[in-house]
Amino acid sequence: MNQERLVGLLWGSTGLTTAAGLAALGVLPTPVIVLSVPFVVLGVRRPVLRRLALRNASRRPRETALILLGALLGTAIITGSAIVGDTLGASIRRSAFTQQGPVDAVVRTTSGFDRRAELFEAVAAGAGGSADGLLALVSIDAAVATPVPPDRGSGPQAPPRAEPHASVLEVDFREARRFGGDPGATGITGPTPAGGTAAIGRDLARTLAVGPGDRVDVYAYGNKRSFTVERVLPRLGVAGLHFGFGSESPNLFVPPGTVAEMVAAGGGAGAPPTALVAVSNRGGVIQGAEGSDDLVERISEKLAENQIPAQTAPVKQELLDSADEQGRQFTELFTSIGFFSVIAGILLLVSIFVMLAEERKKELGMLRAVGLRRSGLVGSFSLEGWMYALASAALGTVAGLGVGRAIVFVTAGIFQGEGPLSLEIKYAATLASVQRGFLTGFVMSLLTVLATSLWISRLNVIRAIRDLPEPPVKKRRLAVSLLRLGSRALAALAGTLVTVAGLSLESAPALLVGPPLAALGVAAVVRDWLGKRGVDTAAAAFSLTWAVASFDVFPQVFKNPEIYLFVLDGVILTVAAVILVSRHQVLIGRAVRRLGGGSKSMALRLGLAYPLARAFRTSIILMTFALTMFTLVSITLFSGVFQSQIDDFTEDVSGGFDIRALSNPSSPVAAEEVAREPGISAVAPLAALGAEFQMPSREAATGSTGRFGSWSVAGYDSRFADVGPPSLQKFLPRFRTAEEAWRGVAGDPTLIIVDDFFLQAGGGPPEASPEVGDKVIIRDPASGTTRELTIAAVANAGVRESPAYMGLEGLRQVVGDQAVPNLLYVKTEPGVDAQSVAERLNGRFLSSGMDAVSFRKLVGDGLASQQQFFRLMQGYLALGLVVGVAGLGVVMVRAVRERRREVGVLRSLGFDSRQVRRAFMAESSFVALEGIITGTLLAHVSTWRLLNSGAFGESLRFSIPWSQVALVVVLAFFATLVATVTPAQQASQIRPAVALRIAD
Amino acid sequence: MTVLADPDASDAMAGFGEGGKGAPDPAAAPILSATSVHKVYRTGAEAVDALKGVDLTVRAGEFVAVMGASGSGKTTLLNCLSGLDDIDGGSVVIGGEDVHEMSDARRTRHRASTMGFIFQAFNLIPVFSSAENVELPLLLAGEPAKAARAAAVATLERVGLGHRLNHRPAELSGGEQQRVTVARALAGRPQIVWADEPTGNLDSETAAQVMDLLHELHREGLTLVLVTHDHGIGNSAERRIVMRDGQIVLDERLSR
Repeated sequence: MNQERLVGLLWGSTGLTTAAGLAALGVLPTPVIVLSVPFVVLGVRRPVLRRLALRNASRRPRETALILLGALLGTAIITGSAIVGDTLGASIRRSAFTQQGPVDAVVRTTSGFDRRAELFEAVAAGAGGSADGLLALVSIDAAVATPVPPDRGSGPQAPPRAEPHASVLEVDFREARRFGGDPGATGITGPTPAGGTAAIGRDLARTLAVGPGDRVDVYAYGNKRSFTVERVLPRLGVAGLHFGFGSESPNLFVPPGTVAEMVAAGGGAGAPPTALVAVSNRGGVIQGAEGSDDLVERISEKLAENQIPAQTAPVKQELLDSADEQGRQFTELFTSIGFFSVIAGILLLVSIFVMLAEERKKELGMLRAVGLRRSGLVGSFSLEGWMYALASAALGTVAGLGVGRAIVFVTAGIFQGEGPLSLEIKYAATLASVQRGFLTGFVMSLLTVLATSLWISRLNVIRAIRDLPEPPVKKRRLAVSLLRLGSRALAALAGTLVTVAGLSLESAPALLVGPPLAALGVAAVVRDWLGKRGVDTAAAAFSLTWAVASFDVFPQVFKNPEIYLFVLDGVILTVAAVILVSRHQVLIGRAVRRLGGGSKSMALRLGLAYPLARAFRTSIILMTFALTMFTLVSITLFSGVFQSQIDDFTEDVSGGFDIRALSNPSSPVAAEEVAREPGISAVAPLAALGAEFQMPSREAATGSTGRFGSWSVAGYDSRFADVGPPSLQKFLPRFRTAEEAWRGVAGDPTLIIVDDFFLQAGGGPPEASPEVGDKVIIRDPASGTTRELTIAAVANAGVRESPAYMGLEGLRQVVGDQAVPNLLYVKTEPGVDAQSVAERLNGRFLSSGMDAVSFRKLVGDGLASQQQFFRLMQGYLALGLVVGVAGLGVVMVRAVRERRREVGVLRSLGFDSRQVRRAFMAESSFVALEGIITGTLLAHVSTWRLLNSGAFGESLRFSIPWSQVALVVVLAFFATLVATVTPAQQASQIRPAVALRIAD
Repeated sequence: MTVLADPDASDAMAGFGEGGKGAPDPAAAPILSATSVHKVYRTGAEAVDALKGVDLTVRAGEFVAVMGASGSGKTTLLNCLSGLDDIDGGSVVIGGEDVHEMSDARRTRHRASTMGFIFQAFNLIPVFSSAENVELPLLLAGEPAKAARAAAVATLERVGLGHRLNHRPAELSGGEQQRVTVARALAGRPQIVWADEPTGNLDSETAAQVMDLLHELHREGLTLVLVTHDHGIGNSAERRIVMRDGQIVLDERLSR
């Protein structure tokens, strides 16, 4: 199979094999090579610098490993996110081969079923010479089951297996094989089924557990036909033809004429069959899609000329567009969420290199003293950093492939099953993603290293050799002062301009970032005169308030925010909070000391002294922890909010009903029949089917292309409103109550009811909440008939997949006699277990393809998938925690090394080993706890604000899952303790004389 | 030359160890008694005998200078006698108890309550102010915070640093840092103070100031064991011990 544009690398290998593969495939992006040239030249021409860099890197292998671990995580996250997108896109694209093959466009009709010969002629005329094949098919949605075994009374027998929603197809197999010019791509083998035989698709054969020679029964239009399975066809091309949701193709190919016979025998009940003409463009499976739009236009014109009620769809191009879009959305989702961890990774790098620089100050000072130029100093330090950057980017890319694989593994479970999210996931990574991850990680690390190198190169030789701290600057040169002031004023001005732009253009990101930027810029300008603490506190408090309140202050600008906006908001919140905390560390430290026993607890006193004295280092670790905990706790809160509202969601979608029962449109179960079953008090029939919609206001909000999107629609009558339809969040003012709105829509063919997720393909919060009064265009996919509708009400979105609702008559005017009452809303008698009744209905109406489920189970299953997704997100975000904990571990390991002499002194003064251990534990715990508490509090504030603002729909209410939040907090703190217990133990075991002897 | 800044603050230094003010009493009971102390350093397969059966007795109020060439075992002797380092043989009795028979925790407490240390590299805690550094051993010994701070302030005033109470080590000169170290060593009124090259990092003028301070404190009753390679300082002590290859080769009382 030619995979064409899919530059798929199916990484089935382990990390090492992959690493070797990276080199072999020329993975190294050109910019990395270009950026590396100066360092390679430096290393070759300056052997002393090279030796210094290599020996420093290899001197302490454990610490080097920690540095690499910290630095590689950012790359791993970026690579992993891209691979998730690749996988999603590739998995959807795979359907182009398995479920469409040579089919590039499809012409469908139901009402024109009897004119299918004319249809074929019109399509042939429209397609002209650009198509390399046309294929006529007939299709119905029917129940297919294994025969019910005769009751011989000889013990238990296996129950029949059934697929309630199988596709029963008729096609000429000889024509099908010739279709598209590549018989292998059609999946069709053997002669056309005839007599009592049928060819079964692999997926349906698996569901029914049948093979050649077995018998299957087809139920449609109230009658049954039995067939002997002649052969099993693969899920490929025409044999795997499937245009609906899901990766499976439950197909059964029956002898031509069977469907017409069944329709005739049924006496006209049920939705009419569909006549299809598949069109194959010139070119292969993927390339063939490229000329689809012209083809569709030409065919549509011919159909209009001949007045045939049929609809032409460029199915292949739509699928490929969907693959690109879904892939992009998932990459964006994971990159956005992972962005926090990436920032944490950058902060970790900064902190590591600042520590490295401090540790090496003496050594670098000596080098300066013996004649090394300042540029050489930068070179020696940055050469080592370049090695770390290169190694961590390579390792991070390999780790990213693993991260991607892990996410894909979990995601595959979530995407299993039926519905719009059903997809068979196959791991795939494109070279572009691997290169992008490598390059981003490398540049990120290199910039950090270079900035630190420049900073350290400013050191004073004598002070560096004597390990004296840089004195506070008393008087700067005028030019330096002006430059500092200018850059700060520029930040303030930029913030102001961005704010003005945000207001005038109604740009949410500009309005979110502008005011805090202006405030912090102004604070930076005036802090030298008005005092650092007061001014920074005011600016940070303002930024914090702005990040919390802006969504409510400008609801129009922040309506339907995208995920990156939440990320931006989270970063502003965290930065502001960390500035606040950092500026008040002394007060916090004093309070903690008092709580911890005052001057009695020497370990606590000493433990707090270092983080309080080293504000920069502390604030970086604080930021890392706060960011990570903010995202982790936010996801936990959202997960808890959804989980706790299963009753509310069930009530929202079910109204007064308990069971949703879907039967086959070709043989729908009558409401009266179901109503006669025991335990049932009321039944309302609805006509449910897939339609196509276009919503101009949504297109304006999301910038989408204006293509029609598929969505389910259900037509109802007054019986639905009698029992109690789903709840509404808003409706047109002409209706006084929700019930009046439901009744009004039932009787008005121009009105429709939708929910917040209407037409949304991807995950996340609603992209564009519909408003009452907005216009919607509905199109019948079989005939192409369109009608403009008005949104009369917006329903509460309890679960995804809720249909749009129209009056039954209105729906019939668009889709004709396809609107059959195949969806029943069932109310059970009090005290009856709805799910048991649903299961009984499934058995009772098996031949009609009955698929009944209690609303509670329906919502529960939907939430279970959602919870899995939240767990996946938590696992992904936990990588950020790994960064934070690794950072703290590195800092503590280095702190122990840095303070060996001080530990020796303390031991000589009377500190016992336990106190030394406690002091180090207190130090790490203090910073970690500050970060954990800050992040956790911010997450609560942010989530509460988001839910109250209605950004996630009106039906979600804020609640705190205490046990889950506590678990996350405890686990994070426990991880911190685990990371720091070893260095603390090492510190406690330092023998005073040894420490003093080494130092002196 | 004296560095006394505040004569009234001298009370803060009264009553060091057992000796009290004035010259040491030759008949006084020994404050330290070391017998046949052995110390071996092992690095891989190599073993170096750093102390080879050292015997030493120090009486309360004595000022003992330990001298010798580099590598002769001066600092090792100080570390082993003070209990900072373990020994491989012999015993060291301070205040009637063998410090090497004690558990690590007990030895630490014993050290905190009976000894003070002055190091060549000052070894102040960089994130603590002068006053916080000086009060540290007092707090470790369980002194109430207010009393510890008062004693630290008084001691710092006594060494002439009353105006530098809230300065961190990085904000002090080398001489000032060493005076803070002296104050820290004295604040807990120890029985004995160990000083390892206390003037090694100082210029001659500042070194003289620090030594004047130590002499003054010794005259007030401080027991001082000082390691130095400076003959001038060694000759200013009342007793001089010379070490070579891990052994005491000369132990003489100097006339002053």
